[in-house]
Amino acid sequence: MKLFKELFIANLKELIRDKSGMFWLIAFPIIFVFIFGLIFTNSGNEQLYNIGFVSEGDTVFNKSIEESIANISVFKINKGKKQVELKALQEGNRDLVLIIPEINRNLNEQFEIEILTSDQRAQASTVLISSLKEIFYNIERQITNQKEVFKIKTSTVSTDTLSDFDYILPGILAMAIMQLGLFGSFNFLNLREKGIIRGLGVTPLPRQIILSSEITMRIVISIIQTVLIIFLGRWFFNVHIVSSLLVVFGVVVIGAFTFISLGYMLITFADSMESGRGIVQIVQFPMLFLSGIFFPIDFMPKYIRPIVKVLPLTYLGNALREVMVGIPSQVTMTRNITILVIWSVLTVLITVKFWKWE
Amino acid sequence: MSDYVLKVSNLKKSFKDVKALTGVSFSVEKGVIFGMLGPNGAGKTTTIETLTGLNKRDQGQVDILGLDPANQLKELQKKIGVQLQSPALFPRLKVVEIIKLFSSFYKSSLSTDQVLEQIDLMEKKDSWVKNLSGGQKHRLAVGLAIVSNGEIIFLDEPTTGLDPQARIKLWEVIRNLKKEGKTVFLTTHYMDEAEKLCDDLVILDRGRIITQGSPEHLIDQNFDDKVIEFRDQNLSAKFKDQLKNSSFFNKISFEEKNNHILIYTDQIRSSLKRLFNLSEQNNIELEGVIIRKATLEDVFLKLTGREYNDETI
Ligand SMILES: Nc1ncnc2c1ncn2[C@@H]1O[C@H](COP(=O)(O)OP(=O)(O)OP(=O)(O)O)[C@@H](O)[C@H]1O
Ligand SMILES: [Mg+2]
Repeated sequence: MKLFKELFIANLKELIRDKSGMFWLIAFPIIFVFIFGLIFTNSGNEQLYNIGFVSEGDTVFNKSIEESIANISVFKINKGKKQVELKALQEGNRDLVLIIPEINRNLNEQFEIEILTSDQRAQASTVLISSLKEIFYNIERQITNQKEVFKIKTSTVSTDTLSDFDYILPGILAMAIMQLGLFGSFNFLNLREKGIIRGLGVTPLPRQIILSSEITMRIVISIIQTVLIIFLGRWFFNVHIVSSLLVVFGVVVIGAFTFISLGYMLITFADSMESGRGIVQIVQFPMLFLSGIFFPIDFMPKYIRPIVKVLPLTYLGNALREVMVGIPSQVTMTRNITILVIWSVLTVLITVKFWKWE
Repeated sequence: MSDYVLKVSNLKKSFKDVKALTGVSFSVEKGVIFGMLGPNGAGKTTTIETLTGLNKRDQGQVDILGLDPANQLKELQKKIGVQLQSPALFPRLKVVEIIKLFSSFYKSSLSTDQVLEQIDLMEKKDSWVKNLSGGQKHRLAVGLAIVSNGEIIFLDEPTTGLDPQARIKLWEVIRNLKKEGKTVFLTTHYMDEAEKLCDDLVILDRGRIITQGSPEHLIDQNFDDKVIEFRDQNLSAKFKDQLKNSSFFNKISFEEKNNHILIYTDQIRSSLKRLFNLSEQNNIELEGVIIRKATLEDVFLKLTGREYNDETI
């Protein structure tokens, strides 16, 4: 145990002092989150709010209300029927739906204006509602010149549909875990190449400890990556995590183990750093795009799907999507985990069979 | 009765078709500085690596501290310290950290300060390993062998690549190890180092041992005589033949080396007389004549018929 601790510390120091290695492990996933986050979140950085506008009348007043709202530059107005707009709101394609009743000339009446927002974006909704209230207050004064014409009723609609980014965030985590497992094996390959492993062979240190400390360290890093990615997703892009963190960590650890052993398996077939890089890249690159971690499998051509269905990254992506943001996959959770475990067992067996210490 | 800590008999090791060791036998007494001397490719590293567990032997018996590296390796490795010829160390650890790491491998290891002191790297203790100079890295590797506080310390060419001062300092460290009662097994291709430092010595050549003994013993055994050496600037073959065939002296042997001619003799006076007479007869001016004691180099030359240098393979 003391040996393990000392070696773990040594490994950790080696890793932290390796600037480019740290970039790939920590900065790269963060950059990914931001790039995809900014591209795919609905509100985006332009702050255009999608307003569903339902007008139940066609009077002058209705028209001028519509105009006043359309004049606000950060609003994008989608005019439509009530059902259509409500459905759009539920699917996450509207930030807010505004329902204006027919406003006739009899302004003594009170008109009830309905504002429906999504429960997923409470913060944005509060801002939107208060600015809309302000707008109606102004309309009251300018157009009707009477007070309390409009009674504003707000309510939230539960939207269980998510933004594209909700789909992508678990994909980024899956990618990070895959990279960690596959590229992480270069560390051992490097130690093997340089003869460091061989050199340690004259000390009483059991060689298995070198591996177990590496594996432990990588699993710890994958947990750190998970926390980071979840944190960024939550705070910058409003992605809600539906399961407890422990469940997410459980899936992460299984996935990390699968890819760590796949990484070790690949480098057993390498006899130099260069060939190791080559082999890992040949596996890593296609897997990244063929696993549906960034877009659903249905978008891919039919003839590719059988490949998609065997890749472990597909199932890690599935599992993470389900436990993180609650998007179910085409197969059950048990199936996702089982396939990851099968991959782990197979790769461990092959690795053990062909393993080279020197 | 001497107390042996290491016994090797008929050790054989081949790498594919290269026969690196062809039946090597020797034993090492407890508490001595034991040297293995030999030119490049002689099999020194192969011997050390086979004894310490990096290579599996093909044949032969090995007994180190009562253990056999073939099946009691980890047990044995707890009791020895090893410095390899081309040490590879974690590049981004600090000197002090890597010594500490290695000290955690052994039960009664030395303190990091003791080691840093001995290998004279105190002021470099916070440098990353990869930023050390070649000689400093080499000294660190020696430090990692002595941190074990093992009963036998194996050092594969510990002084190669060191500047003269560091070399002498390291000799001191090695002598101290001996004072503490440890046995030191070192390889070297420096004849002078073997002569000055080692109590007992084997000379290895082309995977076999050509002789064993203390440096003085080896020299005395092969030469109870002195050496006359002079430069060979286009000396005629006739003159050389005359020298070679001169049955004049007791125990002469004649060798040519590197544009020098060596005459081994136990009768310096008459030999010199004869030499100068011959040179006068042939009208030859001899240059750079020196008279010296025989050294290990002479032993090597005599036993192998080849000059000792690093090209000798
Ligand atoms: N792993 C190997 N594969 C093939 N041949 C090897 C291997 N290791 C050593 N040899 C060969 O075995 C012979 C002995 O090598 P060794 O390294 O033991 O020599 P050495 O005495 O240590 O030489 P040096 O003074 O150069 O360190 C050499 O001919 C070398 O080429
Ligand atoms: Mg060597």
